[in-house]
Amino acid sequence: MMSKRKKILIALFFVFLIIPVYSIMAKGALSPDAQMCIGCHLNKNLTKTLENKEVLSLYINGDEFASSVHNPFSCAGCHTDISMANHPRVKKINSKKEYTANASKVCSMCHPNEMLKKKPMHGYLITQTKAPSCSECHGAHYIKRIAEWKTRISDNQYCLTCHKYDLSMKLSSGELLPLSVNESLLKNSVHGNFPCSVCHTGFSKTAHPFRTFKNKKEFTATVSKSCTMCHTDAQLKKKPIHASVITIAKAPTCVECHGSHSIKRMSELKAVVKENQHCLTCHKHKLTMSLKNGESLPLTVDESVIMKSVHGKLPCSACHAGFSKTDHPKRVFDSKRHYSIAASDICKKCHQDANTLYEESIHLSQLKSGNLKSSTCTDCHGSHSVTKVTPDLGLVSCNKCHGEIDSIYKTSVHGEAITKGKENAPTCSSCHSSHDVKITARTTKMRDTCLKCHKDAEGLHKKWLYNPPIRTSTFAGLHLDSVSCATCHTTDAKRGVYLSLYDKKTGKPFPEEEVLKLLGTDAAGLIKKIDTNGDGSIDGKELWDMVRQLNGKGANVTFIGRMDVQKGTEAHQIAVKTKAIKECEQCHRADSSYFKNVSIVLFKADGMPTVFNAKQEVIGSVYSILPVSKFYALGSSNVRLLDYLFIIALIGGVAVPIGHITLRIITSPLRHLRKMGKGGKK
Amino acid sequence: MIRIYLHPIPIRIWHWINALGFIILIITGIQMRYGNIIKLFSFETAVDIHSWTGFILIANYFIWLFYYLLTFKIKIYFPPITHPIQFTKDSIRQAKFYGYGIFVGDPNPHHPTPDNKFNPMQKISYLMIMASLIPVQIITGLFLWDPKLFSKWINLVGGIQIVSMIHVLLFIFFSAFIVVHFYLATLGHTPLAHIKAMFSGYEEEEEEEEHAHSH
Repeated sequence: MMSKRKKILIALFFVFLIIPVYSIMAKGALSPDAQMCIGCHLNKNLTKTLENKEVLSLYINGDEFASSVHNPFSCAGCHTDISMANHPRVKKINSKKEYTANASKVCSMCHPNEMLKKKPMHGYLITQTKAPSCSECHGAHYIKRIAEWKTRISDNQYCLTCHKYDLSMKLSSGELLPLSVNESLLKNSVHGNFPCSVCHTGFSKTAHPFRTFKNKKEFTATVSKSCTMCHTDAQLKKKPIHASVITIAKAPTCVECHGSHSIKRMSELKAVVKENQHCLTCHKHKLTMSLKNGESLPLTVDESVIMKSVHGKLPCSACHAGFSKTDHPKRVFDSKRHYSIAASDICKKCHQDANTLYEESIHLSQLKSGNLKSSTCTDCHGSHSVTKVTPDLGLVSCNKCHGEIDSIYKTSVHGEAITKGKENAPTCSSCHSSHDVKITARTTKMRDTCLKCHKDAEGLHKKWLYNPPIRTSTFAGLHLDSVSCATCHTTDAKRGVYLSLYDKKTGKPFPEEEVLKLLGTDAAGLIKKIDTNGDGSIDGKELWDMVRQLNGKGANVTFIGRMDVQKGTEAHQIAVKTKAIKECEQCHRADSSYFKNVSIVLFKADGMPTVFNAKQEVIGSVYSILPVSKFYALGSSNVRLLDYLFIIALIGGVAVPIGHITLRIITSPLRHLRKMGKGGKK
Repeated sequence: MIRIYLHPIPIRIWHWINALGFIILIITGIQMRYGNIIKLFSFETAVDIHSWTGFILIANYFIWLFYYLLTFKIKIYFPPITHPIQFTKDSIRQAKFYGYGIFVGDPNPHHPTPDNKFNPMQKISYLMIMASLIPVQIITGLFLWDPKLFSKWINLVGGIQIVSMIHVLLFIFFSAFIVVHFYLATLGHTPLAHIKAMFSGYEEEEEEEEHAHSH
């Protein structure tokens, strides 16, 4: 008879030793070899370090496995390369990804591709090279029947089963649409508590329609429609920027600005995001603004461009005054040009020195006089791409408007020096300066600019351009004053004489505006007022009448002459020194071709010249002696009246002796008789 | 015939340099102004010669001026201020001689002496030329030689074109004058008498009795 204690011990043995074995055996119908495998793999510490140092857990929860849909199978049924004969063995596994991918291949033994293709999503996934493996979505040892699994799992968990992986969809455009969802970001988003199907309408645990999209834009537009279910247009229109954005056909969709799964409360977002990032949230997308004239102003900002610019560290509001994370005024502009002009006005906030110079420029005065094409800060420096000033900035930016000069300039001695990489080669701004660009045509300003670099020009000219016997620098200087450098230093340019109206008292140009006032006309009527015979060019008498009228009304004006090339483009065609004109007779001849093109110039207050055709005879007209008393070129500005006088004087000078001799010859008999005492006086 | 020493050596030197200079200036001036019609030499050469000659004549003018000032002979150019009526009568008589008397064989009413070298008409014209026209021509020439150097003065005159006009007007006058002057130089008792005198210094005067008769 067993004692009572013995019976208890046997009972305990049974409980502690037999029950575990039984329990394993009792869980479904585990195969014997599975039971054997689990015997070891029950150990939670059983791991394998992979080649990439990942640690692969080899632990199997026997209970879970026993309740899985695959419990009847032996382990070797899936782990086909493992048997008791070769296990454990050294097997190189590079990564978990590789391991699951290889392990999943076995699934197709029972679940062939043909079968999977019947289900749209599986059908699509098996064609993708980067698709997650079977076990990544379905798990490995604890796979449940799908129907049963779905009842237990939440909507979002169901979706994330696959979408937590690096899934993507290739669109018709070739773009790759990422389909992965960061679970933690989703949970922390303002929509974290929503089931996926709230936004992804039509999707559920039981329905997963297969959709295709032309491109990402179409996808985001489709997805964004869901937003309006909660955020109605009526609600959005209350905010000015949204109100204007939703009217734009090509406006970015909701998710393009606000994001999708990681969307935050705006107040929360504004608190953490920097101003520029806040602005770029929308402005990195293709945004435009409709202007009054129907133009569309692009509002897109390329972040990489602005980061490379010298203003990369500035907040957007430094230039876009009035804008901030909390304020976004709605502005209206007539045209793109009006916007650029308004935008440039903000530069002076920091760049006061440059602005002071710019205020003196022809560009600003032109702008003020209504020429909207005249350049502003951004035209030369760019807007978001504004970079440090480089020597070629002038060439690049000036050519935007003055492109016709570029090709000529490149053939010039200066352009060639640039091409050869000479450091001191002049660019546009070297001669015209940068911000205080002035009108140089028909003035001596450009001469002064040339002399900045060619400091000894006067001395060099003096070597050959002098009037003997004394070599004065003033004689060469006189030519530099009244003949533009380009006149002699260009090759194929057409030259002409320009008679500009000056105030005798101040020595400055007499402004055209003043002329209009004194003559009682406007700009359009001025030529009729001067060219009284209406033949299209001004003659000496007309010039005289003009000056007489002006001086009669209190002005004190005169014309100062200057020789220059006819076209501004030609002035840039400076040739090498050896090709310069040195022959005096090119100018100093009565029939000089340069003196055949005569023009009358009036300068506006901003320096802009108005040029009128004049007759060649203006130079030599007796009427011009007083109005053009300050212009003279030996041999070519001859007053013709004096030529006639010269001829008359010569004829008279010769006629007097001839006449006198003739009379003496005729009267010689009288003298002879008188000498002989036969007549005449005694 | 008597020989009177009328032209001292400095005056003869001055005269012939001046004569040659004037001719050169006129020729080069014509070349500069009418280069499109006449091509004796290049514009540059014309300017060079004109400028050099101009400066030589400026110096030459001062030879004349200093000689006459230092020797006090400058008075021979001035009409007698104290006898204006007589001077006017003498002038008319001299004009009558050239316009009438010379044809009918009247003797020249003026008989030069070292102290009264010029006849009344010569006095008027030479005084005007030497004291006014030549200085003006020198000044305008200098202004045109380097207009920038003299720009302030040129502006006072009214502008470079005015200066040029004055210079050209005087050039026209001198061109005509030099022709007439040369002709008048042939009106001595022989055509070459005055010209020879201008080389030798001695003017030949006709007989005493005719002198007496003419006075």
